[in-house]
Amino acid sequence: MKRTRISAALAAAFLLLLPLSGAYAAEPDFEAMVRELDKLEDFTGMDFSGVFTIASEKPGEKQSVTQIRMFRRDSKKQFLILLQLPEAQKGQGYLKEDDNVWFYDPTSRKFTHSSIKENLNDSEAKNADFTRKSILDDYAIEKTEPATLGKFPIWIITLKARTGEASYDRMKLSIRQDKVLILKEEDFGASGRLMRTTLFPKYAEVAPGKFFPSQMLIVDEINKGEKSQVTMSELSTEKLPDKVFTKAFIEQVN
Amino acid sequence: MKTLIKIAFKNLNRQKKRSFLLGGAIAFGIMIVTVIDGFAGAFVANVAGNMADLFAGHVFVEGVEKSGTSKPVDIIRDDQVIAESLKAAGVEAKLVQKRSGTDATLVFEGKKANQSIFGADFAGESYLRKRLVLKEGSYDSLLEPKSLVLSEKVAGKIKAQIGDKILVQLKTVNGQNNVGEFTLRGLTHDMGIFSNILAYGSRDYLNELLALAPDEYQMYGVMLEDITKAEEARVALTAALKERARVFELPAPKPGEAASGGGMQQSRYQKLYRLAKKETWEGVKYRVFTVNDMISQVEDLVKVLNTASLVILAVLFVIIMVGISNTFRMVMYERIREIGTMRALGMQRPSVKRLFLFEAGFLAAGGTAAGMAAAGLVMAVLSLFDLGTGSFFSLLMKNGHLTFSVRPAQVVVNFAIVLVLTLLAAYMPARKASRLEPAEALRSSK
Repeated sequence: MKRTRISAALAAAFLLLLPLSGAYAAEPDFEAMVRELDKLEDFTGMDFSGVFTIASEKPGEKQSVTQIRMFRRDSKKQFLILLQLPEAQKGQGYLKEDDNVWFYDPTSRKFTHSSIKENLNDSEAKNADFTRKSILDDYAIEKTEPATLGKFPIWIITLKARTGEASYDRMKLSIRQDKVLILKEEDFGASGRLMRTTLFPKYAEVAPGKFFPSQMLIVDEINKGEKSQVTMSELSTEKLPDKVFTKAFIEQVN
Repeated sequence: MKTLIKIAFKNLNRQKKRSFLLGGAIAFGIMIVTVIDGFAGAFVANVAGNMADLFAGHVFVEGVEKSGTSKPVDIIRDDQVIAESLKAAGVEAKLVQKRSGTDATLVFEGKKANQSIFGADFAGESYLRKRLVLKEGSYDSLLEPKSLVLSEKVAGKIKAQIGDKILVQLKTVNGQNNVGEFTLRGLTHDMGIFSNILAYGSRDYLNELLALAPDEYQMYGVMLEDITKAEEARVALTAALKERARVFELPAPKPGEAASGGGMQQSRYQKLYRLAKKETWEGVKYRVFTVNDMISQVEDLVKVLNTASLVILAVLFVIIMVGISNTFRMVMYERIREIGTMRALGMQRPSVKRLFLFEAGFLAAGGTAAGMAAAGLVMAVLSLFDLGTGSFFSLLMKNGHLTFSVRPAQVVVNFAIVLVLTLLAAYMPARKASRLEPAEALRSSK
């Protein structure tokens, strides 16, 4: 259970690596739109930090709340995730540099090394959430269509996996027509069945022209009733001290 | 010496009831331990035989494909090299089965269960038709597309019944997320710990979900005429395959390390499987293993059973030893005048001691023989009962019957333990008897 909750937190954090803002395009070139999403996918050139609170629900189980504080420096492929909730796991941390991840356990005061995938295996996060550098590397645009989602006119871009290694066979992105903001992402298996829906109802402008979701709802479409609501707060792109991305920092905050 | 042996026999005969009780106690202990040993001896063979039936093979080949930096993919696209190697190795296959398989999550109305599923060709696998015992559903219904067979335990966990459509969440051979919908058409009896690793689904549909072509598969199973030749066949097939392709091989066990690797954490197959994650290569690499490699943990369990039976034997005999020791002490006092007479007639002290020890030795030998005979009788009677093939315990039996296999070496060890303990129990009274002064003994009124 503990691992699942941490993983859910990590999953949410990684999902937020997705591109979420952009300029208005009246006559969209959809490839360019997706490339725009790619370009805006990371925070290269700036640091990023925020607090993510994930409330997970499973049928017949009590709601679980996990809270993490995340620090990112994409230019150096670094991140630090510190667990704040649940209390039992408070102080645990994941420090990443390139492809290496160290897990810190405050009880034993020891670091253990692992790959990113090992840490996220149990979570809602899928391969693409942490390995995808470009949507168009993994997916090709199959279909586009205008539609309306709530009060927003949107473009629905259906993407088909280029290789069998992409996390899902198809993705449907619902993007606002007035700004390049994803409102909904639907992930489909090769069988054509919808497996996961992610909704992005609220955004915050973290830097001029750069939007970031402040709320997300991840719905497991296979296991009905399983969903996670992610709320982001204290979002900032202020420069972070270098010492944040060090083992000493994790030990110090503990 | 001959005279001593005769007297010892006569003494045992004089107190038939007492000898019978002492020998009976020894026989009882030997019987219990022999039955346990016999069960443990047949345990591995029975489990292996039954698992071989369910997995449809004694020797298996799996292919792992890798190119560039891509992830390893479990797949056999072309089995010509395997067929050629089998021929070159001189392995005669009674039957060959080709199956795909996956670890999946079953989802039904909010309930979930983890399950390994084998993609079986229900129409073509005549052997499976013969061996698969369905508690509910019929084999013919499995010929329908998208059929699934689960154990009653797993179906009960997700509260699914025959005819229900069950979502099966899995990853393709490339690691992509996918989900399919099978129809539950057969229920097998609860197979305990094996329930979660033995389920069957229509191979065509499973292949589709795994992103395999209809003629591709993952496990090439070879059924031999004789399961005991499985290891021999594996070695020969590995050697032949090595001449034609890359083959995974486990490093030889270090000195002092058990063949199974020591510990019960991983079977030999699991260790072999992990090699694909560690090693780098280009193209297809094969792993060859036997059904015993898949259940090598069962061998560890048998070692535990054997140790337990030895401990039981030791504990039983420590108790019996106390009885024997007291009885011989009593015997010494009963025969004190007799000992005095024999000593007066010239019998030496060592002979008196030997006389007692001979009696104890004969008790041990007689008790062991009787115990073995009783064990044989018990095992014969137990093996007559048809306990059916519809339960988890059927995996431990042969066609629903308990079978036993007693190892001669174990019998010798058990007899040695009994003999030594009995002699030790009789030693102190024997020594005391040998130390009696003849005149004192004759004067004794005890």
